[in-house]
Amino acid sequence: MPTLLGVELLKLRTVRTAWWLLAAAVVVVVAGIAGVMGQNPDLNAASTPIDALGHVGVVSLFALVLGITAVAGEYRHRTITDTYLSEPHRGRVVVAKLIVYTVAGFVLGLAASAVALLGTAVWFASKGGSLNLADPQLWRTVVGCVCWNAAFAAIGVGLGALIRHLAPAITVALAWLALIEGVVSQLLGGAARWLPFQSGSALGNLPTTSSGRLTQGQAGLVLAIYVAGFAAVAVWTSVKRDVT
Amino acid sequence: MTAVAIRDLTKYFGKVPAVQALTFDAPAGQITGFIGPNGAGKTTTLRIALGLVRPTAGEALIGGQPYATLTHPRRVVGAVLDAPALHPARTGRDHLRVLAASAGVPERRVDEMLGVVQLEGAAGRRVRGYSMGMRQRLGLAGALLGDPAVLILDEPANGLDPAGIAWLRGRLRQFAAEGRTIVVSSHLLSEVAQTVDRVVIVNEGRLRYAGPLAELAAESSLEAEFLRLTTGALDGAG
Repeated sequence: MPTLLGVELLKLRTVRTAWWLLAAAVVVVVAGIAGVMGQNPDLNAASTPIDALGHVGVVSLFALVLGITAVAGEYRHRTITDTYLSEPHRGRVVVAKLIVYTVAGFVLGLAASAVALLGTAVWFASKGGSLNLADPQLWRTVVGCVCWNAAFAAIGVGLGALIRHLAPAITVALAWLALIEGVVSQLLGGAARWLPFQSGSALGNLPTTSSGRLTQGQAGLVLAIYVAGFAAVAVWTSVKRDVT
Repeated sequence: MTAVAIRDLTKYFGKVPAVQALTFDAPAGQITGFIGPNGAGKTTTLRIALGLVRPTAGEALIGGQPYATLTHPRRVVGAVLDAPALHPARTGRDHLRVLAASAGVPERRVDEMLGVVQLEGAAGRRVRGYSMGMRQRLGLAGALLGDPAVLILDEPANGLDPAGIAWLRGRLRQFAAEGRTIVVSSHLLSEVAQTVDRVVIVNEGRLRYAGPLAELAAESSLEAEFLRLTTGALDGAG
């Protein structure tokens, strides 16, 4: 397994996908903070820093796409053949990818959080206020969003292993988030809080669109179950299917 | 000595028979040409031998065991199946570094193999800028990294210029002389006739001939015998 982890890390480091997603995440976070602060919010309101920092949760979409490339990207470029020739026990390969990409999602969330904290602090200072770093809600948001990123990266690995085609997998993921979670959740009412993005938002201590919400602890557990489910499907389908 | 043994191999994709009761050997120290028309089941057979596809029945053994049970598979078998199986944004050197790491092979083998296939100068460039011949040579370098006893190559001459084809023929002969087992699948019958010791001909998933090239082409030519065996009625002489 250590060899497999090292190999997956080397694969990730030798292409530019992760770096592009990181750059895009930084842009999204900075733009989001600028958007919030540009509306001249009340610097003393507790919700203001949370609104600014909450954009780290949107970075979870980039983590999801990164996870999808783990397996689906290898099918896209046919390097999956070499991967399974090197390690015929495919379950081990998928587990190694799950571990490496979950950590990558975690790192993505951390980097985005650092940029968000810095950006928010700078903006507060420029408006004559100061960011209250002692506020526990602020750290619950940051920690929750980082974990949300890690979980979505893992879910992405599972989704990519299930669908195997890169563009369709990304399309399905984004369509799910926009249509099912965005629109249908309005109709589902309270039941929508169990959906992955809604759970992620709850974990990130952010506003959710569904009525009723999970606590951070409950949301973390729900996402962990999603991760376990997708991981199991990823391993099972990878072991069973022919690589033609 | 590590030989390849295909025993009664059968594979159905749904209702479609790709391979039917195929049996042949590729012995060590010889180059075996694995030839047949498009759709004859060659790629499926090789993929089953490499553990990528699960057979419906029968078995494919390398050194007496299935590929998936080999402890260090890349040190036993080197395979080039899909010439375009390269990530376009990765450099040639990084592609080989990934393979070396996954094979548990020291990184100095990467530079050695780049030298063998004469890609040292291009190794630092991203693969998307490589010609077909360069991609083919990179694939071969990857197959050789683990110093394997068995080489399985699907259309290895594809994209190579005449000098490259002659170079490949020479290398394969040398590997066979060292006692390695070589299985080459190719459509270039004239090149196969110059390179191989044994021939296995398949058509519509079934074996049509397996044996020494010299015996098959004694009276005519490989091309003539190939066309005779792979066109016309299935129950013709084989």
